[in-house]
This record gives sequence, C-alpha cells and structure tokens, in this order.
Amino acid sequence: MHPIEVRNLVVAYRRWFKPPLRAVDGLSFEVRAGEIVGFLGVNGAGKTSTIKTLMGFQPPTAGEVRLFGMQATDARARRLVGFLPETALYSPYLTPYETLRLYGELHGLRGRQLKAQIEALLEMVNLAHKMHTLNKHLSKGMLQRVGIAQALLGDPQLLILDEVSSGLDPIGKRELRDLLAAQRQRGTTIFFSSHELAEVASICDRILVIHKGKLIAEHRLDELVGRVQSLEDYFIRTVQAERDILGKEVQAA
Amino acid sequence: MTRTWQITRALMVAGLLETVRRKDVYVVLILSALLTLGAAAFRVFGVQGLEIFVKDVAFSAVGIMSTVLTILIAARQIPEELQRRTIYPLMARPITRGQLLLSKWVTATLTAGVAFLLLALANLVLLVSLGITLKPIFVQYLLLKLLGIAWLSALVIALSVYLTPPATITIALILAFGSGAFGRLLLMAHWEHGLDALWLNLLYGILPHYDYFDMSKKVVFDWDLAPWGVLLAMAGYAVLSSTAWLFVGWLRFRKQTL
Repeated sequence: MHPIEVRNLVVAYRRWFKPPLRAVDGLSFEVRAGEIVGFLGVNGAGKTSTIKTLMGFQPPTAGEVRLFGMQATDARARRLVGFLPETALYSPYLTPYETLRLYGELHGLRGRQLKAQIEALLEMVNLAHKMHTLNKHLSKGMLQRVGIAQALLGDPQLLILDEVSSGLDPIGKRELRDLLAAQRQRGTTIFFSSHELAEVASICDRILVIHKGKLIAEHRLDELVGRVQSLEDYFIRTVQAERDILGKEVQAA
Repeated sequence: MTRTWQITRALMVAGLLETVRRKDVYVVLILSALLTLGAAAFRVFGVQGLEIFVKDVAFSAVGIMSTVLTILIAARQIPEELQRRTIYPLMARPITRGQLLLSKWVTATLTAGVAFLLLALANLVLLVSLGITLKPIFVQYLLLKLLGIAWLSALVIALSVYLTPPATITIALILAFGSGAFGRLLLMAHWEHGLDALWLNLLYGILPHYDYFDMSKKVVFDWDLAPWGVLLAMAGYAVLSSTAWLFVGWLRFRKQTL
C-alpha cells in the first residue's frame, strides 16, 4: 500500500461538438513512502489535472487513483495528506492565524494543540509577525507561505504540492528547500510539480515526466548523474523527442 | 454528527468574520437608516388614523430587504469559494462535499437570520416610537420568517451549484417574490378546472411557496395568535422542503469538477 497509486488514469473534458479532450491519457505510476518525487511537464501536459484527481477535486474518467490504499475521492484519505494548490488564494478577510485555525478545525484539530501548531508553523514560514494581518494586505509570496503552513497542518504523511515555489523570492525558495528537506528527515512523502528544474534537481529522489497526458520518462535522479548535462537539458531533450515522434505519427496518418 | 457540527462551526465562524469585515452589515444598517428616515416623514404629518398603513409599509420594507439579503448571501456561498479558488485548500481537508454544502447552508441561514432580526428590531423600535404597538403574533411572524430564511437559503444554494451567480439571483428573486402570485394564479385555474385537476395539484405542490412563511399582513391587521399547530406544520414543510433542495444541490455538487 503506497501513499500514491495511479493506474491507467484517464481525465477527459467534454466539449461541445468536438471529441472529449483527454488531458490525462492512461497514466500509471506510484509514489513509495518517504520518497520525494518531482512531477514535470510543459504547460498543458496534464499535471494539474492529475493532481486535481489525486485530491478528489475531479472524478477520474477512467482508471483508479488511490491514496494510502483508499479511493482518492474518499474524504478519509485526505486526513493523511497536506496540499498546496498552484495559486494559493485564501480569504482576503481572514488573517493567517484565522486561516490556519479554519483549516486546522476542518482537519479535526482543536484547542491548545491547534493553537500551538499554528504558532509553530507561522514561525517556521517566517510569518509570525504577520499572523494577525488580514490576508488582503499580504504579498503573493507571503500568501504562498500561508499556503505552505496550511499544507503542513496536522503533520501530514504525504505532501502534494502544485507549483510549490510560485511567487516566492530567492530567499523564500531557499527556505522552502530547507523546509522540504526537514520534512524528508521526518519521513514525509512529497509529490510535487514545478517548473523550477534546479529546485527539482536539488531535492528530488525521482522524477516523472508527462507530455500530452502520458508518462514519457521516469528516472531516479542518481541514475541521471553523469549521463546528462543538467536536468533542464534532459527535460527539454525528452519533451522535444516526444514531440518529434508525435509529429511523425501525425504525418504518417 | 459531531464531526459535521465541528465543520459547520468552523465554516460558520469564518463566514461570520468575513461578513463583518467585508462590511455587509453596513448594508443592513443603511437599510435600517432608510426605514428610520421613512418613519420620520410620517412623524412630520402624524400617524393618527394611518397606523395600519404605516405598519404595512414598514413590514413590506423589512420583508423585501430581508429576502433580497438572504438571496444575495446564499447565492455567493459556494460560487465565491470556486471563483476565489479557496475551495481547493478547503476540500483538501477530510470533509465531504455534502458536509460542505450543509455547512454553507447553515452559515447563510445564520447570517441572513441575524440581518433579518436586526431589521425587525429596528422596525419594532420605530413603530413603538410612533406610538404603534404590535400584538403577540409578531413573535410568530419572526419565527416563521426565520424558517422561511432557512428554506430560501436551501433553495438558493441548490440553484447556485447549477447556475451562474447572476442566473441564480434572478431566478431566486422571481421564485421568492412571484410565489404568492403563482399560487393565486393556480387557485384561479383550480376554480376553472375543478379542485381535482391532477396537473394543477402537482404544479401547486412542486412550486416553491415562500409566501407561506409570511405572516406580516396578520401582524399589520392585529390578528390574534395563530394556532401553534400551524407553525409546527410550517416547520415540517420547511424541514422537508429544505432537505429536498439541499439533496438536489448535492446530486450535482458531489460529482462537480472543482
């Protein structure tokens, strides 16, 4: 029973007078306990659709998605999961403290335990001094830190992060790397999508590359060391090769 | 049930904080001030012999304002979460979509209910200041209107998961303010086709009847207390009908792509 198991996942969107758009097309992979896995792909590759299905925000058109052995649509599965959405938007009329209290209570935490956890998390993401400022007065980077703190509420065993470093400045990115490294030390499994390939290379154990909804490459990062110039170079070559193959197939058809 | 209550309470507290901070309550205060100004006009000319007219105007104003506020509050509960994308961190928690829908209904009902009570209180103070007293049926009016607010919130929340916010508001306004007229039209049709016309009875049963929850005319004309059994029956109608609306909303929301 792995933290994430995806089998033959298809996510298709219905369109008027056109065949359905298959954003994810027969995707299969798993993430083992304690791993840090980077989920890579160009814009529109199907990353966010996959993550939405993992979080139960979208029912799969076909296939199966399980978190800790439970169906992803089962609310109980999310008790063990922390999630950071791509664009972290939180109620502009609540403060970071109230935002975390809301999500903590929804998670089932309460009382002193919740208060202590909120204060510790806001301290960890360097937002303790803004804990009683309304979210509408915070910068994009600060809101992303609120998002990171809410994802860590309830000591999740699995973190799913969509475009984790979006909006963070270089110092914020460094702090985030340290924070993820600390989570790894605690044995937390992390699955994240990012366009920041240097960041992926510095913290991941394994990468999955998808293109047009299909898995086109899967590697442990230590396998790539010495074989490729950089992760960026590898990623561009892999996606380009896939585009060439698809282009030839279209021409042949 | 405890878990559902915990979720409801958390969302309710956040919802009320938002309502206060986004200054929605100012709308209620402005409306109350308008009522006061209107009453001041009566004070200039005196209300001798105009008591019933003044009461009618005041209760109609409270009825219209509270209905519009209820629709506006309920119509934004779920669409705003989707629009602001705050639904993602919310639904990333171990809560079901049914629990979210239920919590949003409670939040809308509570917020609109408090707004109505504030307006009704302002109305009462104004009428008393003009020397107009109300009979105990006023208490029954308050209770029934609160039931109506809960019922209307359920209807609007159900509509809001199927329609865009402007369409939800438009249809809800038509159903809320038109329900009395529809009812009367159907009664006239009954007169024409006979009381046993099945299609008319079905239509009457299906149509939402917000007008059932309005006792304002009885307060205006100083009726005695209505039998409490009638209020109990209305509470039963409100519970059954609200459950049906929320169920219809849940049927769509449970599978909706967020």
